[in-house]
Amino acid sequence: MKDLARILGLWRGRAAWLVLGAAISLASLAAGVALATVSGTVVAAALLGGAVSASLWLRVLGPVRVALRYAERLATHDATFRALADLRVWFFRGLAARAAGGLGARRSGDVLARLVGDVEALDGLYLRILLPVAGAVLLLPVLLVALWPLGADLAIGVALLFVAGAFLMPAWARRLAQGGGTRVAEAGSALRVAALDAVSGIREVRAFGLEGRMLAAVQAREAALFSAQQRQSGGLAWAGAASLLCGQAALVFLLWRVSAVAGVVGITALFLASAAFEAVSGLSRAGWLAGQAQAAAARVIGAAAAPPGEIVQQAAAMSLPPSSALRFQGVRFRWQDDRPWVFDGLTLDVPQGSRVALLGPSGSGKSTLAALALRIVSPASGCVTLGGVDVAQLAAADLRTRIGMLNQTTHLFSDTIRANLLLGDPRADAARLWAALDAARVGDMVRALPDGLDAWVGEAGAGFSGGEGRRLALARALLSPATILILDEPCAGLDAETERGFLSTLNDLDTTGAGGARTIILIAHRLTGVERLDRVWRLSGGHAVAAAA
Amino acid sequence: MSERKQSADWLRGKAAPSMVLVRRMTALGLLGTGAAIGQAFCVAGVLDSALGHPSRWSTAALLAGFALLAVFRAACGVLGDRMGFAAGAAARRRLRTEALGGLLAAGPALLRERHSGELVATVIDRIEALEGFFTRWLPAARLALLAPALVTVSVLLVDPVGGLMLAGAGLLVPAGMAAAGMGAAAASRQQFAAMARLQARFLDRIRGIGTIVLHGGAEAEARGLGLAADELRRRTMRVLRVAFLSSTVLDLAMALALVTLTLRFAARLASGQGDPGVALFVLLLVPEFFAPLRVFSASYQDRIQALGAAEALSALPAPAPDEPPREVRNVAARGVAVAFEDVRLTWDAARGPALDGVSFRVKAGETLVLAGPSGAGKSSVIEILLGFVQPGGGRVTLNGADLASLVPRALSRLTAWVGQTPMLFATSIRENIRLARPEATDAEVADAVRLARLDGFLASLPDGLDTAIGEAGFGLSGGQAQRVAIARAFLKDAPLLLLDEPTAHLDPATESEVMDSLRRLAIGRTVILASHSAAAHAFAGNGFAVRRVDLRDGQVVNARGVA
Repeated sequence: MKDLARILGLWRGRAAWLVLGAAISLASLAAGVALATVSGTVVAAALLGGAVSASLWLRVLGPVRVALRYAERLATHDATFRALADLRVWFFRGLAARAAGGLGARRSGDVLARLVGDVEALDGLYLRILLPVAGAVLLLPVLLVALWPLGADLAIGVALLFVAGAFLMPAWARRLAQGGGTRVAEAGSALRVAALDAVSGIREVRAFGLEGRMLAAVQAREAALFSAQQRQSGGLAWAGAASLLCGQAALVFLLWRVSAVAGVVGITALFLASAAFEAVSGLSRAGWLAGQAQAAAARVIGAAAAPPGEIVQQAAAMSLPPSSALRFQGVRFRWQDDRPWVFDGLTLDVPQGSRVALLGPSGSGKSTLAALALRIVSPASGCVTLGGVDVAQLAAADLRTRIGMLNQTTHLFSDTIRANLLLGDPRADAARLWAALDAARVGDMVRALPDGLDAWVGEAGAGFSGGEGRRLALARALLSPATILILDEPCAGLDAETERGFLSTLNDLDTTGAGGARTIILIAHRLTGVERLDRVWRLSGGHAVAAAA
Repeated sequence: MSERKQSADWLRGKAAPSMVLVRRMTALGLLGTGAAIGQAFCVAGVLDSALGHPSRWSTAALLAGFALLAVFRAACGVLGDRMGFAAGAAARRRLRTEALGGLLAAGPALLRERHSGELVATVIDRIEALEGFFTRWLPAARLALLAPALVTVSVLLVDPVGGLMLAGAGLLVPAGMAAAGMGAAAASRQQFAAMARLQARFLDRIRGIGTIVLHGGAEAEARGLGLAADELRRRTMRVLRVAFLSSTVLDLAMALALVTLTLRFAARLASGQGDPGVALFVLLLVPEFFAPLRVFSASYQDRIQALGAAEALSALPAPAPDEPPREVRNVAARGVAVAFEDVRLTWDAARGPALDGVSFRVKAGETLVLAGPSGAGKSSVIEILLGFVQPGGGRVTLNGADLASLVPRALSRLTAWVGQTPMLFATSIRENIRLARPEATDAEVADAVRLARLDGFLASLPDGLDTAIGEAGFGLSGGQAQRVAIARAFLKDAPLLLLDEPTAHLDPATESEVMDSLRRLAIGRTVILASHSAAAHAFAGNGFAVRRVDLRDGQVVNARGVA
């Protein structure tokens, strides 16, 4: 509940809209119940020969109810959209702060997708959970007051049944969702892993004749998911039925009392109770959603609201030095205290404007080197200096304007080519964009597209081949003011021919960037032979060993 | 519009096997409505007799009837929900098996055009999104017509004028929906699409958050997201103002029915005409008349979602038609000779042929090195032999038998394969090796591990052979993964060994170790190794009888006896 309250706290700025929506929503509910009740009163009055003055109310309430319902839909949806926008921006900012600390960067795409799903699960918090509950809270005293003249026992009995149907059953559904929801989520990701295995391993599947086994594995995981879902859906159905029966029991009680002494009050009460129970009939679903939202809120807050990584910004950051010479001096680093040293006294000089390669088998710490330079992590001892200044004394944002990075997780956004490039330099004009594209040797490819720079880059670069995608990312990196470009396994996942093409493009890059000569640091597990380099180091045993250039 | 119609047709076709359950759910829904009519009758009877009109039924009987019908309604609800889940689960199971079967049958060629992540998202998420279509929409669409009709008939029987008024108000709903601007459907479709776009953008930016942060664009992007959401809200609200009119028509129709019927009965009763029981009965049924229409309108978005999913699913390759039973050719298990005769293959017409009249022969037990630069067609030769793709022309034979006459299973028995980067499945290392021959004993797996020189590495793992690897498991380095693939090949013990650049992604030290293991694996088998020449020399270094074929642009440029 604390987490849900925290999410609600984010919406403080939208309180006016949310309260307005809630007020209209409650007014609309009141009008609806009143309409049903008054129609009962009118008929009862006619039957008993009483005054028919209520029929005027009827004529008014009908249109009022319709208008309020329309206003309610507009106001509550508008408020929801506002609140959601806030939630998304807050989540993005929180995650960005953590990504800068290096934590977000290691999260897999699948985990992120699930988190985004969690943010969306909070969509219904206001509209589908809070408002229905508020409605039920409003109806309870109304019911008590209206039924009191027919007997205190009746009023209290019906009120208790109302509490059971509108609050207890939903609470039970909420617990159901909390317990079973985890099982459903786990079964769901097991199914996804099995399907991903079958599809990405399709060559092995075909070569070893595994089609039947793979299909059976997916079906087994699917059956597990269905059985977890079935428990949830079955439980929800029972909660709904129990809630319905509470209402029906109340009606039987009320009918039995009215059958003894029929009067305008009794018939009116019957119509009122019927409408009230009808209005809360969907609450067990709301309870179920609340259980899910609670779990989602906990995950969302865990991901975005925790303090950022270990690196704390120094109070007074130094300004960037003019030179971009990068130097690692006696650097020791390990990811965790109980893991072996990745670097054990690494010393390495990368003069500005040089082209160097760092080679080493996987696990030798090549990518850690980039993380140290970008200050995503800090060394245990020793230091990394840029132009003679310890990077720990520079503001992270400044450092990143000087050092650019391209690796296989570099993301192409599902936006236009132009928007993707402008991330490198928001002020670049079309001429500079084209120059960068040409330098990365994708200019001709983009020119051939009907929409040119405004062509749409599909989801995660879909629509372009792997090589074209990397070249677009390279063009973006070239636009950035960075004078040091770290290419961390830039060709991972590309076939050998595309890899050679990309690497030979690097050879021809103009190394005189805006801020002076541009340094290129290529990180790879091997060289293909096409690279033109000034120096080559091999990482082994936590040290850098010079190798033939 | 025609695309939507296609999707709708596709869905209708796929829904056909579910229709039995849908009809049962519809029947249950109608029974529920029938029970509600019965309950209205009971309530009207109780009140009528309380007002002093003698009734055929005693109050106690009517109350008992009401209670029984309440239990019956609740039971119908639970049963209907269960059936709905069963219908949805059966449909999802059916569609997923069909879609995945189609993907597996289409084979590795599919991954040349589509990304595996995208295919999996379709097979998992899009099919999950179909649930509401089967559990809610299909019965709701039927009940929206049948249940109000049932209520109308029961009212018509006791009060023809009231029945007509109710039916008239009901008819306002479709008429009003059609009149509300371009139609509620179009508006709600647009709203759905706009929401989906915003969600997609948000997910995309979150996925690329590392890239944004490294480019220093986080603050600008956060503002951009806020603006986009706000802009979307404005546009969506414009659409919703129209879309909500259709729901308002429903509210209006119901209020109209309630108010006019109440006033009519009040006037008639006040003037001493009419039956109070009938009046109460009809008024109590007004909500029952409109309830199915509300459910229909609420589940409309299930239909929209299903149409989107149908579009993605119908774009997947169709499952292979059942193959006519072909004679399984028996190719001698030991010693396979391979011959390519003028083989042609084109992946993509725009990029020219990958193989352009390739001919060569490999005798049983011989090793052939396919050399040549990238794109020369080396991998295409291997993929033809693995059955990943059929040649566009020419003939490939194994011991003289045409490859095309072999069923996939027979071909897979003959070949073992080590590619550039082996796929490790999310299970234990043992199961990853055993998949090469599921019936292998533990001792045989242990032998394969030893022969692939995997035992030293396994000793360093906490659970040895039973260590879980793959997604969320222990990560293996490229060289270790390649050793798992070699162990698979040892375990399979097939007469034809196909090696496709097995060391392309390894560093030099690991490469020579892996080559060493491969040489041991090659003993006594027919081997085809596609590799760049340095690796080929390493392979031949052991004094193997090696033949070499140089490929360039899909053609054989020379064939030498011994490299």
